[in-house]
Amino acid sequence: MGNFDLLIHGFGIAITPMHLMLMVVGVLLGLVVGVLPGLGAPNGVSLLIPLTFTLDPTSAIILLSSMYWGALFGGSTTSILFNIPGEPSSVATTFDGYPMARAGQSTRALTLAFMSAGIGALLGVIVITLLAGWASNFALRFGAPEYFAVYFLAFAAFIGMGSAAPVKTVVSLATGLLLASVGMDNVTGEVRLTFGFSDLLGGISFLVVVIGLFGIGELLATVQEGLSFRGVSSRIDLRDVLRTIAELPRYWATSVRSGLVGIWMGITPGGPTAASFMSYGIARQSSRKGKPFGTGRPEGIIAPETADHSAGTCAMLPMLALGVPSSATAAVMMGGLMIWGLTPGPMLFATKPDFVWGLIASMYISNVVGVILVLLTVPMFAALLRIPFAIIGPMIVAICFVGGYTVSSASFDLWLVLVFGLVGYLFTRLDYPLAPLVLSMVLGHKAENAFHQSMILSDGSLSVFFSNPLVGSIMTLALALLILPKLLHLGGRLRRRQPVE
Amino acid sequence: MTVRRFHAEIGTAIGTGALGLAAVIGAAELGYGWEESGPQSGYFPFYVGLILIGASLWNLVAAFLRHRSAQAHAAAGGEIEEPFLDGERLGRLGRFLAAMLVFVVATLTLGIYVGSAGYIAWNAWRQGGYRLPVALVFGIGFAAALYLIFEVAFLMPLLKGPIEPLLGIY
Amino acid sequence: MTLRNIGTVAALALLTALPAAAEWAPERPLEFVVASGAGGGTDNFARTIQSILTKDKIIDRPMVVLNKGGGSGAEAFLYAKQNAGDPHKVIFGTNNVYLLPHIAKLAYKAEDLQPVAALAMDEFLIWVKADAPYQTAGDLIEAAKAEPGKLPFGGSQSKDTDETLVALIEQTTGADFKYVPFNGGGEVGVQLAGGHVVANVNNPNENLGQWQAGAVRPLCVFAPQRMAESEPIHDGKGWHDIPTCKEQGLEIESYQMPRTVWVPAGVPEEAVAFYRDALKQVTDSQEWKDYLGKTSQTGAFLTGEELQTFIANSEAKTVEVFKAEGWSGE
Repeated sequence: MGNFDLLIHGFGIAITPMHLMLMVVGVLLGLVVGVLPGLGAPNGVSLLIPLTFTLDPTSAIILLSSMYWGALFGGSTTSILFNIPGEPSSVATTFDGYPMARAGQSTRALTLAFMSAGIGALLGVIVITLLAGWASNFALRFGAPEYFAVYFLAFAAFIGMGSAAPVKTVVSLATGLLLASVGMDNVTGEVRLTFGFSDLLGGISFLVVVIGLFGIGELLATVQEGLSFRGVSSRIDLRDVLRTIAELPRYWATSVRSGLVGIWMGITPGGPTAASFMSYGIARQSSRKGKPFGTGRPEGIIAPETADHSAGTCAMLPMLALGVPSSATAAVMMGGLMIWGLTPGPMLFATKPDFVWGLIASMYISNVVGVILVLLTVPMFAALLRIPFAIIGPMIVAICFVGGYTVSSASFDLWLVLVFGLVGYLFTRLDYPLAPLVLSMVLGHKAENAFHQSMILSDGSLSVFFSNPLVGSIMTLALALLILPKLLHLGGRLRRRQPVE
Repeated sequence: MTVRRFHAEIGTAIGTGALGLAAVIGAAELGYGWEESGPQSGYFPFYVGLILIGASLWNLVAAFLRHRSAQAHAAAGGEIEEPFLDGERLGRLGRFLAAMLVFVVATLTLGIYVGSAGYIAWNAWRQGGYRLPVALVFGIGFAAALYLIFEVAFLMPLLKGPIEPLLGIY
Repeated sequence: MTLRNIGTVAALALLTALPAAAEWAPERPLEFVVASGAGGGTDNFARTIQSILTKDKIIDRPMVVLNKGGGSGAEAFLYAKQNAGDPHKVIFGTNNVYLLPHIAKLAYKAEDLQPVAALAMDEFLIWVKADAPYQTAGDLIEAAKAEPGKLPFGGSQSKDTDETLVALIEQTTGADFKYVPFNGGGEVGVQLAGGHVVANVNNPNENLGQWQAGAVRPLCVFAPQRMAESEPIHDGKGWHDIPTCKEQGLEIESYQMPRTVWVPAGVPEEAVAFYRDALKQVTDSQEWKDYLGKTSQTGAFLTGEELQTFIANSEAKTVEVFKAEGWSGE
């Protein structure tokens, strides 16, 4: 129970007027950067770092981490209302969140997202509290083959049960993989597929593609149907929020499962974005009844949001205990840690207990603060939808392009946003699934790197992926997830056919 | 003018196929073999590109087959193939895209502030039916908000054109 | 045309309300272009300088940090080339500025940037897992000779400083390691602590946390003399207690990575002098000394002739290694 005493001690540090104020400021700033696509949490946090030089490290990390939570909440808002993921990790939230909002239930969708996010974050912090020491030792066992297995598992969980036309899924997947491989390859040190264009040297940014595919693509679809948003929530009232909260317990199984997926992906190197996809895929597979996913299912919002936030919080653990950031934002915070003179590593928990446990305690509080603040903004955001399309439509277009530009301050990215807007529109209209493209862009290059490193370590032998119980069981699980649904599906069809004949 | 789904399918399949081809060509320059230390840097792009070409060809053929059976169906007195975009929708989409294209070009030459203010004002004026002065207020207000959020609050410089420096903003 | 006019009016109305720039030297907000992603070593270097320049009011213009880490930093250097002659762009890098063009086909040359100063030297050490049987660099090299191409040696990136050093060790001693590139120093540190690789050549602060915890152990440092005195870190040993590699019979006198500041080519000499003076004031500040201490880097302030000579030497030596490994493009 040592950890519990330390946590109480941490609460003593976190609950001061100054720290509570920092949490509120951090969450609010985070909401702003989260809502604006492109200007994501990593940018926001790195801009705050110089301001933190005058704070003590505990106050500084509380401010920065609160901003991160705020950004995660804010990212879901635009996903649901406009189909534009404000943060990479909220892409999967668009799949069901946006249809639900379009069906006139934007308040419900937003409330579901924020509450699940809060629950996910709390699940994550509880795990950090209880398992801090064990989890970081576990993470040390992950070498290149294990990394690859984790990425492969995320792929398999999502792709295994795809419902779209298989050949079109392949096209989408392959397109994502190719886009991800543009630019410098870290393992071979070679510049790939740039065809001499300097603009492509840094690779094609995932965020730029997503802003185009989802944001601009959706606007084109909206415009084609006439110049208005389809289905606008007419009234927003607090009772909607409360009613939605009351329906949450019904989905406890989805919440718990998604929380576990998130925790797994946060501690292993998968990261929040992959976690949200994987969780969405598993939720879709395990639901047999009701209307299909992608049409506004509550589980389709709960699953990615819970997983995203539990992974986001758990990602703090490898960062603090090992110095390995599993998200871009964590990488920036780690830079801050070093500037403040703290060294991430196993000893941080022993040498700076005030810092570590103050942070962990603040994660409980600031996530609750975050849920409250963000719920208060729901009416405001939902009201945005009532602005005439001729005003808000072009503003969204402009924000998408500005967002695309801010990702890496490159003019070339404006063209990419435009091109991928068209691609997003065509793919959606022609029933090409977008999700495999996005997922393979997130994981493709990482998986390739891990595969390549494994091959170097094993002198080119594939058996390395079954060389120890850990990697072997992850790979087996992944293969099972990839193949079993197809078999079950086939079996189900055969069984159904027999009685008829 | 009407675009049929058939045309859209063909166009998309050709587009994805071209991407696959580009990847195969680019990867072939790097080397796509399997050395003792694992795959060369072009290995994955090369084979993924081949798969993409194959899948695109499949989609191309599938589109032709469906088109032919739909035509046979129509000839037999059935319903005509559903249009992808009828004239009205195509017009709406075309105008929206054209405005967006002008916006991008204006942004690249005149900067994001001028580009977005003009774009929003134009849409409010022509599409929204607002009077020109009101529309201009929307546009300028939006650009000012961008400036305050990005440049002042978050110290993130946005793309600027030739006009801002004349006014002392860099 | 209408669109353009509206835009002009809009910009005029928006911008006249704001004060115009007054003085000359720097006339506008400065852009600090960082050749690494946010959170990387170069990023911390640039942001520390930015905060000192701001806090001590050495430069009273706003300074904006832009991360352009694509293509191992080449993105930042290309940006410098595109902005030739612009004195308001300052580029932060390492030795990658002049080494990258030798190993990859890139659309810039080292001459597209002019050096302002080198402010610090990051040291390289050989690290092994704490419970490994190797006590000196010699032990490790003997083990590699006994099993050529079998011992996995972790490093950050491919054909970058780490792999160059490993290649240099191989060329000097005749040992043969299996180099495995990872994405960053932190990751390589954990791979070593987890026993997935046998050794790495991380910079001090990349492995500090694991050393504190007793998970990894330094063998020697590639410097002409031992590192500065420090508090004991683990088991009563501090940075100064680590022998140099030369002491252990590994004939590599020194291998260091400079932290460098550049401006685009064509920037007038007065502007370069301005930055030189500003950076000099940075290195004299207490915060800078704290930064060096916390990151265990060695302070150095090289400018002008001295810097040119350093770069020429470092480039020539490294290109020799590249040639021997067959990495050079031509």
